[in-house]
This record gives sequence, structure tokens and C-alpha cells, in this order.
Amino acid sequence: MNKIKQKDLILYSGLIILGLAAPYLFSAFKVQLTYLCVLIVLAMTWNLQGGEMGYNTFGNILFYGLGMYLTASVQVGMFFPLAEWTESGGEKTFVHTTAQYFQGIGVGLLVSAIIPALVAGAIGYAILGLRGHYFAICTLGLGIAAGEIAGGIEIIGAGQGFTTPPFPAEIVDNEARGKFFYFLSFALLIGTFVFVKYIYGSRFKLILNAIRDNEDKAEAMGIQTMKYKITGWMCSAFFCGLAGGIMGGLIGYIDSTDVAFDGREMGVFMVLMAILGGKGTLWGPVIGATLFHFFKEGLWTLILGWQYVALGVLIVVIVIYFPEGLMGWLREKYPERFGEVIDEKDRKAQVELK
Amino acid sequence: MNKLVKLFITSISAITLALVSFTSSFAKVEGDYIVLGSAISLTGKYSSNGVHTQNGYNMAVERINKMGGVEVQGKKYKFEIIYYDDESNPKRAAQLAERLIKQDGVHYMLGPYSSGLTKAIAPVTEKYKIPMVEANGASRSLFTKGYKYLFAVLSPANQYLEVAIDLAVEKNGGKGVRIAQAFEQDAFSQDVRLGILDAAKRTGSEIIIDDKLPKELNDMAATLAKVKATKPDVLVVSGHTKGALTAIRQISEMKVDVPMLAMTHCDAAKLSKQHGKKSEYALCASQWHKNLSYKDKFFGSGKKYDRDFKKEFGYAPPYQSAESSAALLVFKDAFERANSFDRDAVRDALKTTEMQTFYGNIKFGPGGQNTAKPMILFQVRCKGDECENKVVAPTKWASDKFYHPIPKWSERS
Repeated sequence: MNKIKQKDLILYSGLIILGLAAPYLFSAFKVQLTYLCVLIVLAMTWNLQGGEMGYNTFGNILFYGLGMYLTASVQVGMFFPLAEWTESGGEKTFVHTTAQYFQGIGVGLLVSAIIPALVAGAIGYAILGLRGHYFAICTLGLGIAAGEIAGGIEIIGAGQGFTTPPFPAEIVDNEARGKFFYFLSFALLIGTFVFVKYIYGSRFKLILNAIRDNEDKAEAMGIQTMKYKITGWMCSAFFCGLAGGIMGGLIGYIDSTDVAFDGREMGVFMVLMAILGGKGTLWGPVIGATLFHFFKEGLWTLILGWQYVALGVLIVVIVIYFPEGLMGWLREKYPERFGEVIDEKDRKAQVELK
Repeated sequence: MNKLVKLFITSISAITLALVSFTSSFAKVEGDYIVLGSAISLTGKYSSNGVHTQNGYNMAVERINKMGGVEVQGKKYKFEIIYYDDESNPKRAAQLAERLIKQDGVHYMLGPYSSGLTKAIAPVTEKYKIPMVEANGASRSLFTKGYKYLFAVLSPANQYLEVAIDLAVEKNGGKGVRIAQAFEQDAFSQDVRLGILDAAKRTGSEIIIDDKLPKELNDMAATLAKVKATKPDVLVVSGHTKGALTAIRQISEMKVDVPMLAMTHCDAAKLSKQHGKKSEYALCASQWHKNLSYKDKFFGSGKKYDRDFKKEFGYAPPYQSAESSAALLVFKDAFERANSFDRDAVRDALKTTEMQTFYGNIKFGPGGQNTAKPMILFQVRCKGDECENKVVAPTKWASDKFYHPIPKWSERS
């Protein structure tokens, strides 16, 4: 037991050191690294529903987009009239001071974590009674509806989009902005990982699994499944909202359907990454997101114009050859490394039965 | 499990290291080449206009390089452009701009297609103090943010259709008109809308329908049904290429009669080719038309540009291509006047640009917008089955008379 813990310790401290050093080692890649952190967070939180609970949601993008708009709105609204900021005809230029910028983004992120979680609670109460495809389709609608609604609200820029406050000009260091957002997202990644890992060691995870494996039986065992489903979704929404808030600041421009409620890209990517790595595992989404990001950044520019075709092929390959994801595939190949003991007699007996 | 994870992490780090070591060798000026960067929509909803933009850039690069290139400090340089596909997505565009600047070492940028994407890229170029000459981001809000490194060769979006309202009022004997309008939910079209609102206020016109259309516009039947019922004097539609195509298709299908139909992006949509007689009488805002009398020494006149472009790419150049070509002429001029590759020197030179190109006069206002060139309106007119765009406003360049009102569908053959 102790030995495993020691191994873990080395692994985690190694990863954290790598994470902290990354923006200095690969200075030019800071934005991509920030994206990577956020993608991992999205994949990990999706995995809580899609992997552990067996509820394939396309709705997590709702919380991401919500977080994005909330952070930016709070950041502007705390110091200036929001309507004038977003009104494109306005000639006024508001400038955040350094203190205002950081206060704004701090409070904004807080709001962007809490409100999406509450929204998840409310929506979850209404729709988590649906199961299987019905739930998936229903959540698919959520993201699309949110995008269209946000595109009609004037105070957050409507179809014009919302320019988030620029990084304070008083900070002359060109690299400061990149570092700030990287470390913010890295902190979020660590927070999410610790939280998910904690869940993995808890009864809560077992309950989610029970819901996935047989919800009726779980109910019959006296588990209030609805309560746990809602709690699970709220946890995901909390981190998705934060991820959205950070991304909004990083991108600098929020568009209702293309950046915030971007179900077509982010919404699909988070599912894809979790499945690629192996849903229902702790490391699967992390590995899936990393591989996917490398694939996307490395190869997409080489096949200009064909990247979505390549993505389609990738999805087909994953579904056909790695239906359980990379982790699932490895687990099947080397079960002993995953701590699974195979009873040879039993295996032979099963083979004979076939 | 941990072993595998470790193995995985090691390999990832190895790949990253490899990536780092071979991408950081680019520079702003490499040998005889001045490297420009651009994120362009080659896929996604703006892909057709993205390609028009890219063709415009490429045509100008080729022409300038062939005619001697850019002379800086007595040495001749050639232009080269690094392209990425932004997938018509602002998030991606901002990321790619960062990539062009940080990883490819680009020091001068060309704009993407559409206002939304330009809005996403401008904060990035501004942050790194990279001069960007853009040809396809017309949104007024781009020019009110105090950007110092953004220069647009085109007229701002709110000017697109204001002239059309003036024209309608004029035809109505100076009295206000009843306007029906439908705009896509994006930065550009919403700005065109603001322009119409201003014009309506100015002329005492009334807006009776004010609809918002979704992106990826494929259906506007609901708006058209309302138009049929309320009979406005003018119908204004703006939604990039798809909006123009959808509007004409459904107006002709539903036989909607309006005295005046004003739109944007007719020539990018090749309306007169795609819909032929159905698109006749449509009034279109345009940044440029080949019949205008502007000239420069690289492309000659607009007509010559039109011929050369057709020969090269097999279709008539929409204004999106023309303005993109003009962006390169502006860059060349600025480099030569700055006589240096210093970014701030180039920026200062850009700021004092005052030149004529085949596309029009170019002089930048304090916000970076081109103040020297008016918008024009043309009308689709057909002879038999051959349809053409005829310039009808402003009167200085009008080659033809404005036909008003549009005959009813029942009277059209």
C-alpha cells in the first residue's frame, strides 16, 4: 500500500513540476497549454456523467458558456455600465485598472462557478428523470437553445458578441497575460483532478456506478438516485463554469454560438476526448484530452480544409477499434497491470462454454 | 497502471520538446521574403468568402512579387503569407493569431474574413503590437475601441445600406418609408442594422418588422410571411452569402412583392448567376465594382483586375477579393515609406497612408477605418437570361438608372 502511494507521489509531483515549468519551457505554446488544461477539465467533468453515471450529456456546454458570459459580465458590470460596454455604437472606451481587472475576474469566476451549479441543480431536477437517448437529446437542445437565447440578449452583446476586458495595460510584460491564464487554468485543472480523485475513492462514485449499471436496482436498494444524479451534475457544472470563465478572458471575445455555447466543437470534443481516453476511468479523460489536443494542434494545420474529415475518421476509428477508449483497450490487453487478477480456471471454463 | 501513465507522459514530453525545437525558427523577414500571417476561413460557414479573401491575397502577392516586390533600404523583398484555417470560429481565430505571432514569428498580419473573426483577432494583434491590415472586418465596433494597430481598407458596416434608405425616401417624395428588416445574428449584420436604424431616424422612416435570423441561415419564411401581410416599402436583408441566397430563393418561391429589396453580399453569392432572373431588381451594397474609375500601377483599372482575376481563378472577383488584394498594396506602400521593418515604423507609415488603388482611395481615420471611399449600390438587371450588376448609386459613378419600384411577381415573365 505504502509503495503504491510513494509511486503516486512521484508521479503527481512530477506532473505538477512539469505543469509549473511548462509555460517557461514552452513559452510560445502557452495558449495551447491553457487550452489543454481546460480541455482536460471539460473531459473529466463530462466523464462524471457520461462515464460514471451512464448519462450521456451534451448539455455541459451550457455551463461552460454560462460561466463565460457571467465572468465577463461581472468583470465589466462591477465597475462600468454593462449595457454601454456592449453597445457596439458606443464611442466610449472604458479601461479597467490593474486592481479592477483582477478583482473583477476573481469575483466573476466565483459567480461563474456557483450560478452554473445552481442552474444544473434546477435543470437537473427537471430533466434527470429522463434516461438514455431521451436525456441525451434533451441536453443537446439545452446548449443550442442557450446559444440562440444569448444571441438575442442586448445587454451581453447579442449577435454582436461581447469583448471581454483587455488585460491591464499597466502590466507591460507581454508574457504576463499568457502566464496568468495558464496558471489559472492549471490551478483549475489541479482542483478538478483532486476533486474527481476524491470522488473516485468515495461511496458517491459507487452510487453513480450503481445508477449506470442498473438504476432501478439502485433505487430498490434504497438509494435516492435523483439526489445523487443532481449532485453529480452540479459538481460538473461548477468546474465547467470556471473553465468557461477562464476561456472567456483568454479568448477576449465571446460570441453566443461560436465561442460560448459552442456545442458543435467544445460540446462534442469533451465527449470525444473522454471516450478516446476511456470513459469511466480517472486517467482516461486526461489522456484522451491530451492526445486529442496534440492531434488537433499538430496535424490540423497540415491538412488544411480536411481537418473535419480527419476528425470524422478519428471518431469512426475510436468507436470501432477502441469502443472502451485507450484505457479500456489497455485494460483488456494487460489486465494484471490494472490490478485485476484473472482466474485461469474460470477463464478456461468460460472458453470451453463458448 | 502508473507505469503506463508514466510512459505516456514521457512520450508526450518528448513530442513537445521535439515540437518546440523545430518551430521557433521563423522570423518576420526571412532572406528575401517578408512573411505575413493570416487566419482564413477555409471551412465552416464563411468558407466561400474565406476563399475569395485568400484568392485576393494570393493574387496581389503574386502580382507584387512579379513586378519587383517591395523595396526596403535598397533591397528588394517578396511577400509570403502563412495561412491557417480558422474554421469560421472566433475562438479558433484568436488562438491561431497567437500561434502565428508566437510560434511562427509573424510580425505583420492580414485580416481574416468577417467582422466577428476580426474582432476576435484584433485584441491579440493589439497586445503584441502587430500591425494588421484587414480587408473584411467592417463592423463599426472595431473602430471605436481605440485599436492602434488595426487598419481596414473597407468602409464600416453601418454605411452599407444607409444609402438604400435614402434612395427609398427620395423615391417616396422625401417622405419617410416603412421598412421591414431581417438580420443575421452576427457582428457584421447587426452593424448594418444599426446603420439602418440611424437612417430611419434621420429620414423619419418607420421600422415595421425587425427580425433576427439565426446563423447558418437557411430559412426566413416566417419573416417573409410577415412582409407579405404588412406590405412595407423596403425590405432589407443581411446575412452574408447564405442570407442573400436564401432571401432570393424564398422571395421568389413565396412570390413576395416589395417595391424595393436591399441586401448585402450579392456579388459574393454570385446572385445574378445562381438565381438569374429571380434576383433581378435586387439592390446590393458593395465595397467595390469593376466599373469604378479608380486605378493603380499594379492592377490597372477595376476592369483589368476583373479580367485578370477571372483568368486566374475562373470566376468574376467579388468585392471581398478586390479589397483583400488592396490590403497587400497598402502593406507594400507602408513598408516602402517606412523604409524599415520596425513594427512601429510600419504602423506609423500605415497611419499616414493616402493612396489610390484599383479598389478605391485609401486613407485611414483615427479608428483605423478607411474614410476615403464611399459605399456603392448596384442593382441586378437582366437582359433575356443574362443578368448583370449595374451601379446605380451614388450618382457620381452610377452607370445606370435605378429601377423602382420592383414589378410584382404576377407581372414578371
